[in-house]
Amino acid sequence: MSNLRRLHISNAGSRNAIVVGVGLTPPPSPNVGKNGEVAIFRRFITATNGEESEDFLKNPDLNFSEELISRDPEVDIELVGRFIEDAQSVLLSANGSPIFAAPSIVEISYDSAGDEVERHAPSDTLPTVNDSVPLRWTGKKMPIGEVVRRFAFRRSMQLRHVDGVTYDFLYAMAKELADEKMMLLLGAGETGKEPIVLQLNGSPYRGFLEGRIDGVRYKLLLHLSNMELRAPQNVKAGGDE
Amino acid sequence: MAREISVSLDGVEASFTFKSIDRASLYGKRRRVPIDENGNPCTRATLTNDGALLLRSGMTGQGYFLADGTYLKQSDLEAFSSDGSPLQKVPSSLGTTQPLESIVSPQEVLDLRLSNVYFLTAVADVGELSRRLNSGEIFRLTFNFRDSFQPESAFLLANDAGVFLLVGSPVESDWCSLDSLIDLPTLDEIDDEDLDFEF
Repeated sequence: MSNLRRLHISNAGSRNAIVVGVGLTPPPSPNVGKNGEVAIFRRFITATNGEESEDFLKNPDLNFSEELISRDPEVDIELVGRFIEDAQSVLLSANGSPIFAAPSIVEISYDSAGDEVERHAPSDTLPTVNDSVPLRWTGKKMPIGEVVRRFAFRRSMQLRHVDGVTYDFLYAMAKELADEKMMLLLGAGETGKEPIVLQLNGSPYRGFLEGRIDGVRYKLLLHLSNMELRAPQNVKAGGDE
Repeated sequence: MAREISVSLDGVEASFTFKSIDRASLYGKRRRVPIDENGNPCTRATLTNDGALLLRSGMTGQGYFLADGTYLKQSDLEAFSSDGSPLQKVPSSLGTTQPLESIVSPQEVLDLRLSNVYFLTAVADVGELSRRLNSGEIFRLTFNFRDSFQPESAFLLANDAGVFLLVGSPVESDWCSLDSLIDLPTLDEIDDEDLDFEF
């Protein structure tokens, strides 16, 4: 399985262990096709000389029908319709010229309305999940019903044991939470107050542990949230979709 | 006319307008942009691996093709489950009333891999539904934003900020017993023997 990662975690007694986090994903999308034959999603070339690019079509002085009649353009039948198999993304300068040296990177911050706030040199967000500092049992618990109505959880991981000791370790956590019908806030960093960042420049999450028990079996789930359930600014009465 | 999400509880209908919300719409966002020598944002293009073609925006298309190269329009597509049985296309939920079912446990919401979150505004007084939402009750419904072969699940709930619709696909997790061990992934290691000092 490629969705496994090491998770260093501590319990209420500050005992810590490295366990496995298994990412939970929904089943894959169904295959599509026709008459029982599966179809494949592919990219293909639709124009070659660049004149049908977005820049051309967005030209405010363009009278498209007149251009078609006067210029009578022809497609390159050798290339148009050709599938794009192996390709890579490249950068061009603003005027469309290739660039041969690594460009500068600027980080632009936008407010919730989408307006630019500032520009600055990019700063890396370091991961807070590592073997050195465990994710901490903060002791802050909330009823499950309250948590699901306050936060949106974009992804979840299941914590799994690697040996008998970690089985007891995780089972005890799950049982405590299941018995109390509570979820626990997990904190990252030395102080246990930082958000959970799984990889370099990854999204920061607040992690909540949830436990389920079925006799000697357990599920200990880490639910990751990057947003609260709250009203957006300037919400209008009409739907926007 | 704004589209609405319509639901029914015990035979009583209620309609809501909706607004999609995400982290960016609540907190803002940051974006890294490459800039050229004049300080203008670079544009992205696709270079074929043979170096022969540089494809800019507007020069490519995409779609579904059979093995013999036959292009299939979206309207002609059929879907199959993993066992090969055909799936029926489920129409969009917008404009049709979806029945609500009260869930037994809030953990059902946690078993959802969220794809969208909507903030709802009631078109008119929703009466009993409002009272039950405000008491902490959570309702399950089927929701399809557009016609789809794979309808999503949704939960309707409320907090102090308002009413929300959480949409996504259910995920499953395994019960773990003592003997259901899993191997610990190893950290990447540097092999000193691979270091080359013959510069």
